[in-house]
Amino acid sequence: MSTLDQYTLKNGMVLLGERLDHVQSVSFHFLLPAGAAMLPAGCCGASAVISDWLFRGAGNRNSRQLIEALDGLGIHRHTSVSANHLNISASLEAGNLSVALDLFADILLRPQLEAEQFELSRQLAVSELEGLDDDPRQKVMIHLAEQFYPEPYGRSALGKADELAALTPETVQQLVKQTFHPSQTIFSICGNYDFDAVCRQMEQLFSVDDPYQPPVIEPVFQGKPYTHYPTQGAQVHIGLMTTVPPISADCYYELMAAVSVLSGSMSSRLFTEVREKRGLCYAVGARYRTLKDFAGISCYAGTTPEKAQETLDVTLEQFNTLKDGITADEMQRAKVGLKTSLIMQGESTSARSGGIAGDFFLLNRVRELDEIRDKIESLSIANVEGVLQANPFENYTVVTIGPTDITL
Amino acid sequence: MEFKHRQLDNGLTIIGEVNDAAQSAAVGFFVKTGSRDESPEISGVSHFLEHMMFKGTEKLSPLEVNEAFDRLGAKFNAFTSEENTVYYAAVLPEYLEDVAALWMQLMRATLRDDDFNLEKNVILEEIAMYKDLPQFDVMDQGRALHFGSHCCGNSVLGTNESITDMSADQMRNYFSSRYAPNNMVLACCGNFNFDRLCTLAEKHCGVWETMDSPRPLSEFEGTFKKKHVQNDNLVRQHLCLLSPTVSMQDPRRYAASLLGMMLGDETGSRYYWALVDPALADIAVMQCESMDGAGVFYSYICCGPDKVSSVLETIDAMHTDIQTNGVTQAELETARNKVLSAMTLKCEQPMGRLVSLGFNWTYNHHYQTVQQEVDQIKTVTLDDVSRLIEQLNPSRYTLMSLGPQQL
Repeated sequence: MSTLDQYTLKNGMVLLGERLDHVQSVSFHFLLPAGAAMLPAGCCGASAVISDWLFRGAGNRNSRQLIEALDGLGIHRHTSVSANHLNISASLEAGNLSVALDLFADILLRPQLEAEQFELSRQLAVSELEGLDDDPRQKVMIHLAEQFYPEPYGRSALGKADELAALTPETVQQLVKQTFHPSQTIFSICGNYDFDAVCRQMEQLFSVDDPYQPPVIEPVFQGKPYTHYPTQGAQVHIGLMTTVPPISADCYYELMAAVSVLSGSMSSRLFTEVREKRGLCYAVGARYRTLKDFAGISCYAGTTPEKAQETLDVTLEQFNTLKDGITADEMQRAKVGLKTSLIMQGESTSARSGGIAGDFFLLNRVRELDEIRDKIESLSIANVEGVLQANPFENYTVVTIGPTDITL
Repeated sequence: MEFKHRQLDNGLTIIGEVNDAAQSAAVGFFVKTGSRDESPEISGVSHFLEHMMFKGTEKLSPLEVNEAFDRLGAKFNAFTSEENTVYYAAVLPEYLEDVAALWMQLMRATLRDDDFNLEKNVILEEIAMYKDLPQFDVMDQGRALHFGSHCCGNSVLGTNESITDMSADQMRNYFSSRYAPNNMVLACCGNFNFDRLCTLAEKHCGVWETMDSPRPLSEFEGTFKKKHVQNDNLVRQHLCLLSPTVSMQDPRRYAASLLGMMLGDETGSRYYWALVDPALADIAVMQCESMDGAGVFYSYICCGPDKVSSVLETIDAMHTDIQTNGVTQAELETARNKVLSAMTLKCEQPMGRLVSLGFNWTYNHHYQTVQQEVDQIKTVTLDDVSRLIEQLNPSRYTLMSLGPQQL
């Protein structure tokens, strides 16, 4: 079916791959060590500017020529910023891979970063930040991450208005220079490709000598349990999050099963108790979110103001009673749900490529899909309950946006 | 890949695209009904009914339905548009028949009063949620403005009033006239056995009664009105532009979708270079939506309140330019490559393929392989696109605006 590939370039850059024979597409990810937490204080939002500015000319192509070259190949590209990484990915027809890698090498190693284009990238970043006020559902989850994770890991990639305003082309050029290190970049690929050919080409393109000084980060906890942002909207948007062990912990699969019982699908506890039995919400759901050293279960619920307190109370009750026991039927549903998601992720070249790169960063190795499947199958109720009792949900960080606040 | 087709005596169409190499399978019911088939007093009933179809049968309670799907590890959901209601699930191959049998039973859900009254709250919450999302709100109001009294402008969600006042009997009447087997398609993709699926369908759906479920079609261009709704709570201006395009039955729809991509794709389009690249707008996208006997190009633009007039002037200049000079061969090739690579990626997963398979049959009673669709896109010429620009005249549009800035 599939095999995992791994190769390290002379300068230390890691190439990872999983070949799928039956597809015509290929997807790849570059994880650059230029995430929001990796930037110096006061430069929040620079990642958003960089994500746009990079594509405004690279190598000997100006902005228009570069975009036309990418679009002409039918490349679907995506850029996102996490705490640790600037994540640049692409999906395309397999026959265009080699030309695409040449283009991305230009973008990552030889971006033009021209001053007149900088102002446009900055204006777009400012617009995106302002637009957040018109999207309270997204905004509440961004504020939740800011308050839950220790600084700088919760930083919003969108930045702050004053810090965006203070950025100059020179400071951001310098940040690109400081953070774009091929030797510290993870490259992953999934789909229909020839790994030997990819390695040869990547060695040629990315073998630059590359001394790296990692930034020193000392996480500072925020300790704010509840914040409310008053607005005139139709709903109160509730975000809450509680600490659990990160993905590298032995109990990771038990936690995934627990989250699945809580909110994996429509028969899960949150959906059943909050929406199906009480009609409190349209949207309610929880998920596991992990960085390398910090993780939590986050939850969103949106509801009209008069139902907000009851929504929070019922939601917290579901979190708090999870450790009291789960049924055999819940366990069976959690297992099959997790297994199905896993196999379907394996069918998507883009999802699997992202998964491979994420694994390597978080765990220092890539898990085979079979390994994950075995771990899911060997889960037991006793182990899941044991993990929940050993790691009780104690402190919640809560953020609300809307016409009324709530009482914790 | 092998295509299969059968029709039960009562008119239910069953289609399948079998791919033994797939790791999963997807199945769905495509019901040809939506907000355009509603009268004003039951506005929102199609979407409300979609929620109610999960509430079970004589034998299954709502909770048991959810548990049954989850026991099969199904990735399942449903959606309602102006003209279709689609129920789907993707599962591992060993569960395909079980999940199909579950949907077959739910397509004759009981629609109990108690469940109806409880679910009403969820629908009202969903309406409130979209009120807080101006990018959806402006599209909803834009569609209503563009279509005026034509049924394609009917709101999918309905209003607080129409939902609050609706009775379960009204919903049951609507259900019995629209969920007739001859108005539905059962589609399946991926790794599954078509004959066994048909045997199941015969058992569960064979007794459904054939009914007349008419949908009168009428040609409609649009009102071309301009309207602004002041909202000082918003920070950005949200604009929706609508102009006519060709229907799903029209062979020119491939050229139309390429034109939409040339004008308003997220990157590298006319909108991108005229609006996003110079930072006049942070979002400017256009979609070509071909519908049953009608069609509309939707544009959504998000910009600063101080940029509204520049944005609209720029769009008008863009229209004048394409009207006078047309588009270039290079633009056409780029759009073509984007559409083809998107299709390749989407069709690699059974769930991605299911929707185009089901809709192709719903609209045109016709099967096309992925390769045939690719060929249709490959044969579009620059002349086809130029003629379409002339015929559709996208410079005439309806404009809906939402935000702090008067037009």
